Amino acid sequence: MDESTQSYILLLLADGNLPTGSFVASSGLESYVKHGFFTNSSSSSSTATAAQTNKAIVDFIQDSLGTYARSALPFVSDAHIAMSRHNSMTSGLEESLHRDSEASTLQQIKDLDFLYESMTLNEVTRRASKAQGVALLTLFSKGFSSPLMPHASPNTELSMSASLEHFVDHYKLIVRREEAPGHLPICWGILTATLGLSLDRSQHLHLFLHARSLLSAAIRLNILGPYAAQQVLLHVVRDVVAQHHNSCKDLRSGLSPGVRRQDGEEADDFDGPATTWPLGEILAARHDLQHSRIFNS
Amino acid sequence: MVMDTAASSVPPQKLAGTGNITLHLHGHQAVFSELSYCYPLKLLSPRIAERAVAIAYVLSYGGGLVGGDRINLRTDVGSGARLLLLTQGSTKIFKQRVGLRASSVHPASADGERTIQVIDAAISADALLLLLPDPVTCFSDAFYNQKQTFRLEIGASIVLLDWITAGRVSRGEEWDFSRYCSINEVWVGDKRVARDAQLLEKQTQQSGSKFVPLRSLKDRLGHYSCYATLLLYGPLVVPTITTLAQRYASVQVYQQNVPPDFVWSLASLENGCVVRLAGKETELVKFWLRDSLKGLESVVGIDALRNAFV
Repeated sequence: MDESTQSYILLLLADGNLPTGSFVASSGLESYVKHGFFTNSSSSSSTATAAQTNKAIVDFIQDSLGTYARSALPFVSDAHIAMSRHNSMTSGLEESLHRDSEASTLQQIKDLDFLYESMTLNEVTRRASKAQGVALLTLFSKGFSSPLMPHASPNTELSMSASLEHFVDHYKLIVRREEAPGHLPICWGILTATLGLSLDRSQHLHLFLHARSLLSAAIRLNILGPYAAQQVLLHVVRDVVAQHHNSCKDLRSGLSPGVRRQDGEEADDFDGPATTWPLGEILAARHDLQHSRIFNS
Repeated sequence: MVMDTAASSVPPQKLAGTGNITLHLHGHQAVFSELSYCYPLKLLSPRIAERAVAIAYVLSYGGGLVGGDRINLRTDVGSGARLLLLTQGSTKIFKQRVGLRASSVHPASADGERTIQVIDAAISADALLLLLPDPVTCFSDAFYNQKQTFRLEIGASIVLLDWITAGRVSRGEEWDFSRYCSINEVWVGDKRVARDAQLLEKQTQQSGSKFVPLRSLKDRLGHYSCYATLLLYGPLVVPTITTLAQRYASVQVYQQNVPPDFVWSLASLENGCVVRLAGKETELVKFWLRDSLKGLESVVGIDALRNAFV
């Protein structure tokens, strides 16, 4: 897919108004603030206070994005790779062989989904991740599939393989029937691979959207002004996203059979997905204990 | 103590740090049909009176592990038996051997700097494993990987505790190690019900940004000096799980001005739960654990449980 098509897809996916459910998620920020962790020292100068507030939100974004990238990005990557492989294998194949390939891809995606479920040991995070995952699949089948036109369907660079479109619909059905959890990183990988976005861009955008939704949540929580949030997004978040993208882009879930060492230990066991911020885990899980709250996570 | 005599024909470095514990129920007595170990691992089993219950202490010579040490412990708890695995004092992870660093051309010598502990436990139906060690304390520059796998038959139960302290705080070492990675995996039959993977690693990557310096481990973790994960699963520990879940559900959080000294969370699993704890002092966490796991007295007896969290 050419560069301009990739850029065009990025424009669509980066739209803050896409109905992806991220608007009701604060990824633990609300609970973090409620528990007294979001502090700005009581300084007399308002410039100093603003600087403290900016530092506090950037600290949170770094820690939150750090643990999210390390635990979720390997799943984005594996789902994206599985879908891309499925696409290249089925193009030009006969109908009967399509089905075999689809069954094997489906199994891979389900395995990833269940592994992510078993690693997300926190009901609040699980709930938010599943809600956003299924929202992405719905967005695809309702919003990104080819539109009906009076004449022949539009033939652009964007026309997606029918077999991938079908796969997404099928997976949405499976998630609806609760035969798979439908977690956000897996669904993001499926969606972006189906649209033809490269793995690198898919990973990068996913982390950017996580960081940006934290800033949106900060605005709604009234701890940061909308202009300040834009400043942080333009001048700081870029580096933070690039940092975590770099350190996690080559990580995989470890589900694909790894190289067994002589002693039987999986070589990649300690290089797989992991959480990196135990405090964040505790506070995110305690979201539901808040006496009053405006977010779902 | 039974030493594995057949082992002497195998090269010693392959055996170093390995251990095997097999516990079975004979009548009402829990009997170790195997309790073997190799340096630097040491296993001790004090006599206790409680029916069906046994204790094994997992120790290391010198009270800690150095770079290159590799512990590999296999445990098998037979049907009806109840095993407590304990330690005596926190497990200290000493720093990597710096001397090896320069010459680490081969992957094998790179491994020489690391400390790895692997525990693989099989628990039969109606059996219980309580893994209640003291916390791990990583010294400055320590490199530690740990993987614990628990394979449960349907009807088996476990309580596993995995916790870490900030380090030798009295020496000014606070969250100053290179790496601590801990993976706990619980299988019931052929289903993976939980995989808890936690990585605390010193970041070394150069970002080159004037706005965002990297967050150190201390920046990220420093508000507390002890973090713990507690996983309970299975029919024998249902009363404890229920009590904890009720206590958790009754917590209400209002706006706080300063962070609490101790904080915990609970997430339910089917037939189990995962509890996470953080405390300004290790003692706060220990006190909570001792108090909250009191209910296990009815399963393993007061005398046996008294040996944990001393």
